[in-house]
Amino acid sequence: MMAVFEKGERLRHIGHLDIQRAMQRALRRSGMPVSYSQGFNPHILVTFASALSTGAAGRRELMDVTLDREVEPDVFLKAMNAALPPDMQLVEARAMEDKHPALMAMVKAADYTIALLDEETSRKCLAAIPAFLGQESIMAMRKTKRGLNECDIRPLIHELREEEGMIRAVLTLTEASSCKPDMLVTALCGFAGCEVPRALVIRNRLLGEDAAGALQPLETL
Amino acid sequence: MISDKIEALLEKVQKAPRYTGGEMNTVLKPWESAKLRFAFCFPDTYEVAMSHLGMKILYAVINEQPTQLCERVCMPWVDMLALMEQENIPLFSLESRRALSEFDVVGFTLQYEMSYTNILAMLKLGGIPLLREQRSDSDPIVVAGGPCAFNPEPLADFIDAFMVGDGEEQIIELNNVIEAWKGSGKPRIECLKALAGVRGVYVPALYDVTYNEDGTLASMKPNCPEAPERVLKAIITDLDKAYYPLEIPVPYTEIIHDRIMLEIMRGCTRGCRFCQAGMLYRPVRERSLERLVEIAQSLESATGYEEISLSSLSSGDYTCLAELIRALMKRLESQRVSISLPSLRLDSVLKESLEATQKERKTSLTFAPEAGTQRLRDVINKGITEDDLLEKARDAFAGGWSSVKLYFMMGLPTETTEDLDGIADLARKVVSAYFETPKGQRAKGLRVTCSASVFVPKPFTPFQWEPQDTIDMVQEKQRHLWEVLKIKGVTFNYHESNLSFLEACFARGDRRMGKVLLRAFEKGCILDGWSEQFKYDTWMEAFAETGVDPAFYAYRRREKDELLPWDIIDSGISKEFLWREKEKSDRAETTRDCRQGCNGCGLQRMKGVCSFCG
Repeated sequence: MMAVFEKGERLRHIGHLDIQRAMQRALRRSGMPVSYSQGFNPHILVTFASALSTGAAGRRELMDVTLDREVEPDVFLKAMNAALPPDMQLVEARAMEDKHPALMAMVKAADYTIALLDEETSRKCLAAIPAFLGQESIMAMRKTKRGLNECDIRPLIHELREEEGMIRAVLTLTEASSCKPDMLVTALCGFAGCEVPRALVIRNRLLGEDAAGALQPLETL
Repeated sequence: MISDKIEALLEKVQKAPRYTGGEMNTVLKPWESAKLRFAFCFPDTYEVAMSHLGMKILYAVINEQPTQLCERVCMPWVDMLALMEQENIPLFSLESRRALSEFDVVGFTLQYEMSYTNILAMLKLGGIPLLREQRSDSDPIVVAGGPCAFNPEPLADFIDAFMVGDGEEQIIELNNVIEAWKGSGKPRIECLKALAGVRGVYVPALYDVTYNEDGTLASMKPNCPEAPERVLKAIITDLDKAYYPLEIPVPYTEIIHDRIMLEIMRGCTRGCRFCQAGMLYRPVRERSLERLVEIAQSLESATGYEEISLSSLSSGDYTCLAELIRALMKRLESQRVSISLPSLRLDSVLKESLEATQKERKTSLTFAPEAGTQRLRDVINKGITEDDLLEKARDAFAGGWSSVKLYFMMGLPTETTEDLDGIADLARKVVSAYFETPKGQRAKGLRVTCSASVFVPKPFTPFQWEPQDTIDMVQEKQRHLWEVLKIKGVTFNYHESNLSFLEACFARGDRRMGKVLLRAFEKGCILDGWSEQFKYDTWMEAFAETGVDPAFYAYRRREKDELLPWDIIDSGISKEFLWREKEKSDRAETTRDCRQGCNGCGLQRMKGVCSFCG
């Protein structure tokens, strides 16, 4: 079963491992026939398409739950929502073929809304977007396990525009390379000559590629 | 909005999930729908608070009332506290994020003495005057319950009403009184007087205290007809009929006891003389097997927890323990729930099937002989013999365990060097028991951990008259133990002697300790139970500046007829019984378990309360 769920703004400081555990407990509470792994220490078979960073909220996060028998998606949705707290509700459930490739491997990009919580900075940054995108390369610092790494994020920005006074961005998100929202914000603020303000990051959806190589919502592929 | 400001702080603090709220099974009632709003305050961090069963019970029982709501408030960690002060954000509840001062009742649970400065910190940050005398009619009524409420006096300057005894029914009665007063327009003191009529409620404003020249108490008398001469603790007689929540909050972040806690019984019949809980929670009351299975099933489906632990002071004494475990295993097997309980006298078949439910094999086995020699164990009435212990240790080693923890106390009444050496003897015998186990049978890597805490004499125990060992004596004993416990395979842990000294001052303190507490708080003492935050020198300055001698409380031997600050509370246990026990301990005489016959602890005067009464 593929399920689309929300990580509400109230929960944005809850880390991915804690969200995973909360989801596993909700699956246990739901009474759905969830499958367990074999072995000495069985655990619920659920995988998440992508870890959402601590500090960010998510509108349409994805997970894949293995069930022992078929369940109507609607029944699953209702049972789960009764078992989930208000800030972590399912918005969609859909049956998935056993042969469906792993969600995690399908993620190519993510669509974000980023609110810069300082009016002046926000105004300047939004106004700077066209010129910012006009650059041939945009060097940004990426935090890795080995320390800071400089990389060019220009090719990783698929879309960047103003929307209702906030930043709307589609950024590459793959295992090989990705641009995290904070990298974009830091680079954009630097370009606009501003200090980096507090920012509220919301991941709107995860995207994959269709047969033609166009980005599409992951849950539709 | 205060919520926006809070969000800004959460980005800067460690462990933000402590402050986010919104956990599964938490209750957010519409604010306007309630006539009485109760803030349940736990004077320690979220992880400690959410591990506490009593809080979950009372939170749920208040929220069951149609006209009342209850929200949770915890002590912020130092980083959050500093930011909140800096940004002028009042202490807020986890559910609706309202300031503490907006609630009608602010209730603290008193689990240990070293959380008292946190109470002051929470009141201050919540915008509530610290001293009860400075509160106006519009300030919340500040109440406190829990085991430390049995000696309420050190907090008498700060708390409007103490709740003594079992809280499930009492807290609703208390809330009803406050709810009725709230709309009446009468002054605050009328509410307090009405509260004095609730069973187990002690209102310090209604009592006058006088002292003798030597500093001991001369009298504690009610100053109005509403206040009882002594306050008898509230007792729930039938645990099956007592409220038990069938839904409990499930935190996102990991807490200390992250599992379902099933209180199988309350009270203990063993009568260990150092143990305050063993006296305070008398009489022993068991929940029925049927009720426990029903509660466990409901809680499992409401929480999704993978583990249940059976909770009580002495679970091995539960009458049908084996049947209970079998019934729980049978009902919860399909849910893959593991059941945990301390090492017990169980038959081996049951033990094996129990272990099979456990995901991770327990790594160590814990024993609490408490004292190193049989003589001293008789003094404290700890009914465990060396043979018992060694037999269990041998079983454990043969069963593939290699790690054993042994808990002791040092500074017990009548303790001598011989008793300390006894600790080393016992450790050595445990080590031998391991090496006597055939090599193929025992697991590798023997680890015996000996922990020695410092004995703190507590009210309502036979040792309530006893002096505590001085810090110098304790440190000398610790050095000695350090020497004699240099045994291969044995590690020795000991507790901070300064902290135990302060704990002793508050445990048997009177109203004058309030001044010390306030001064220490003003000088920056908070979160004293966390060793990295504990400021012993500052505390000693606070004693000196307020002219209070800590030795008077910790090191002084009380006379038999001395009026003790907690005599105002009737715990159900008579002072005569405690003195009798004290005299028997002087002679190293033991007292039988109540299950083998009534020992006349005082509860027998209440007909039908104790099922073991003569």
